[in-house]
Amino acid sequence: MNVIPVLPAVTGSVGALRVAPDARVPREIPVPELQPLPRGDAAGESARTAAPAPFGEVLARMVGEVNERQLAAADKVQGLLGGREVSLHETMIALEEASVSFQLMVEVRNKLLESYQELMRMQV
Amino acid sequence: MIQLLGGIESTAAALASERVRMDVISQNIANASTLRGPDGRPYQRQQVVFESVLRDRMSGGGPGPAGATAVRVARVEPDPRPPRLVYDPLRGPIEVPNINVHEEMADLISSSRAFEANLAVLKTARSMAMQTLALGKR
Repeated sequence: MNVIPVLPAVTGSVGALRVAPDARVPREIPVPELQPLPRGDAAGESARTAAPAPFGEVLARMVGEVNERQLAAADKVQGLLGGREVSLHETMIALEEASVSFQLMVEVRNKLLESYQELMRMQV
Repeated sequence: MIQLLGGIESTAAALASERVRMDVISQNIANASTLRGPDGRPYQRQQVVFESVLRDRMSGGGPGPAGATAVRVARVEPDPRPPRLVYDPLRGPIEVPNINVHEEMADLISSSRAFEANLAVLKTARSMAMQTLALGKR
């Protein structure tokens, strides 16, 4: 996988999630079936470990797509500065798309973390 | 790819087309007093013809409203108006290009305003997306 110089953190997290570089993203993200909650006793432990694999996959794919857009934007910038046939507005649009998708990813992460912390605060 | 900024392809195409139009106008202004072109004739004013094109045709069918159209430059064609005749004291009447610089300036203004309008669309789409994402914040 290429390395983006602008956002090293993204490549880092993508590497951690082991996303295939050519993971094509379907137009609709499949929503995994809701798994029944495991009937555990230790609420904290199960909440952390029982993340169903399909959802992780969805998340990984989303991170992969965000990364793809960042790479596309970086490519456009390189093309523009390198004198290839890339116009200024194309570059800016690619950058905007990258920024919006990144923001979306951050919001999803915030929501996930929020719900996790909400669960952890729950009185048993 | 999921579509985050809807309708952006039409806007991008419009921006590219307006760029071409501005390039042609600048070429016209630059050649406003070119008496001899490669063909030995005075420079002939060029004009851009836009056409709408089905967006699916351009991007291999992304999501979006069916039959959505973008714009592209159909062709750049010469202005059929004949060259003006100007009397030169030494050489008699000579042909000068059929270009009116004021007309070109008006075209340039309209082109730059069209570019601006498309940028405004882009900006609005971006701010709509960002405002929607701000729903998640508290």
